[in-house]
Amino acid sequence: MMLPPSIVMNTIIGASLAAVVCSMIGVFIVRMNLSSMGFCMSHAAFAGAALGLAISRDPFALALGMATAVALILGPVADKARLQADVVLGTMFSLTMALALLFLSIAPGSVVSSTALSVLWGSVLGITTADLIRLLVLMLTLLLVISLFYKEFFAIMLDRKLAEESGINTKPFYYAILFLCGVSVSVSLKLIGGLLIFALMVNPVSAAYQFSHDMRWIMLISPLIGLASSISGIAASLYLDIPVGSSIAIMSVAIFLISVALSPKRRHGQKC
Amino acid sequence: MLIRLENVHTFYDGEKNSTLKDITLSIAAGEMVCVMGPNGAGKSTLLETINGMLPSTGRVEVFGRDVRRHGPEIRKDIGYMLQAKTFPEDTPYLVKDVVLMGRFGKIGMLRRPGMEDWNAASEAARFMEVDHLWERPIGKLSGGQTQRVLLARLLAKRPRILLLDEPYSNLDCRSVEDVSKKICILHKRNELTTIMVIHDTAHVPDICERILLLKDGRLIGDAHPDEMLSSRTFRDAFAEA
Repeated sequence: MMLPPSIVMNTIIGASLAAVVCSMIGVFIVRMNLSSMGFCMSHAAFAGAALGLAISRDPFALALGMATAVALILGPVADKARLQADVVLGTMFSLTMALALLFLSIAPGSVVSSTALSVLWGSVLGITTADLIRLLVLMLTLLLVISLFYKEFFAIMLDRKLAEESGINTKPFYYAILFLCGVSVSVSLKLIGGLLIFALMVNPVSAAYQFSHDMRWIMLISPLIGLASSISGIAASLYLDIPVGSSIAIMSVAIFLISVALSPKRRHGQKC
Repeated sequence: MLIRLENVHTFYDGEKNSTLKDITLSIAAGEMVCVMGPNGAGKSTLLETINGMLPSTGRVEVFGRDVRRHGPEIRKDIGYMLQAKTFPEDTPYLVKDVVLMGRFGKIGMLRRPGMEDWNAASEAARFMEVDHLWERPIGKLSGGQTQRVLLARLLAKRPRILLLDEPYSNLDCRSVEDVSKKICILHKRNELTTIMVIHDTAHVPDICERILLLKDGRLIGDAHPDEMLSSRTFRDAFAEA
């Protein structure tokens, strides 16, 4: 199927930006064991989209709002309840899923349901200039925040208690990480969908881990691997005429597997 | 007094009963104090309370300031070594990162480590004889090497107070002697105030001025090592444990 060049261009730019954003934030997710963040946020967005349909408002705006709200309250709730963030994420996941189903039952109709589901599956070909601008602003914000507070994030990712001991007030930075993770997920959702976003957050970072013991290096090459996954995924999608989101996710898995095979760590007989 | 605790009760997350019970004590600048007691007596909790890392009631003052209000600020001048800290094998941090991190609180926000920070870190690594491990991943070190790196991390901070939670765990006999000497040298040379949790009476340094004896979260003894180690209270504390 031949697509107009403007759509292809938007897709390439959008997928590249989303890949860089997801891989940058994926470094925090992988390092801090927040892997359920992707699932939780995508279901929060799903619930938001369902709510939008139930009350006849823009589903994507509400998806973004709901995911951002969950990201915002996650840290304080986990700290107040003295629970691991992963436990709170698990609870939120079931709550948002239940809310989504509830909202969908209020707004009947198969078209309505499929619109809500598009938040989960994504629609990369429908990406607009406004979406691209949002992704670009998010990427630049992430770059700015990470570079300004690089040493605080660097220390917290090693061990929050050690960072606290160093004299860093870890709480605002920890909340910022959770919040940025949530926003990144919700802004990238439209592109490849909530279910596949996980692939772009975890696989590039896991591939980068295969080549280095140096966190700086991992932070640097993860977005590049994400970018490679994205561009090769789009190319494969155009060539084989398969869905772009699936293609990007499959390429990111393939790159991870190749990294495992080529990893110098494994050649030296180490577990990675 | 550099450190002052008055009627302090410390609580762990979700627990109704306090781990430390009604602790009152003062430690002057330049003192070296050892904390002893049976397992679960509250020794580590005492160090964490002084470092302002646990919720507590009563008054906890370090440098004349409330640790609960000024925790991060105060911790810039406290070197606290966690008990038996280890890192998973795949931890993607190098020894130089871990040592330099000791400086991060002092550097302050929005600033990068400068030459002075790198010099402090490498000097600390040399002193603890881990400079040859500088570029090695932290997860690949032995327990003893990790312990030395963590001590170097504290020293890089150039603290005024050292809180050491079992600094000799993971160390072999020769290393215990060596690290003990280094701690004493630092304590005197840098005029530090040192509080050290230890298990073995043989590890009480010659320059130690006081032993605090804890049991079941209560301070049951506070005396000079000669007096404390020969006391009935000390023997009974361990005999009943």
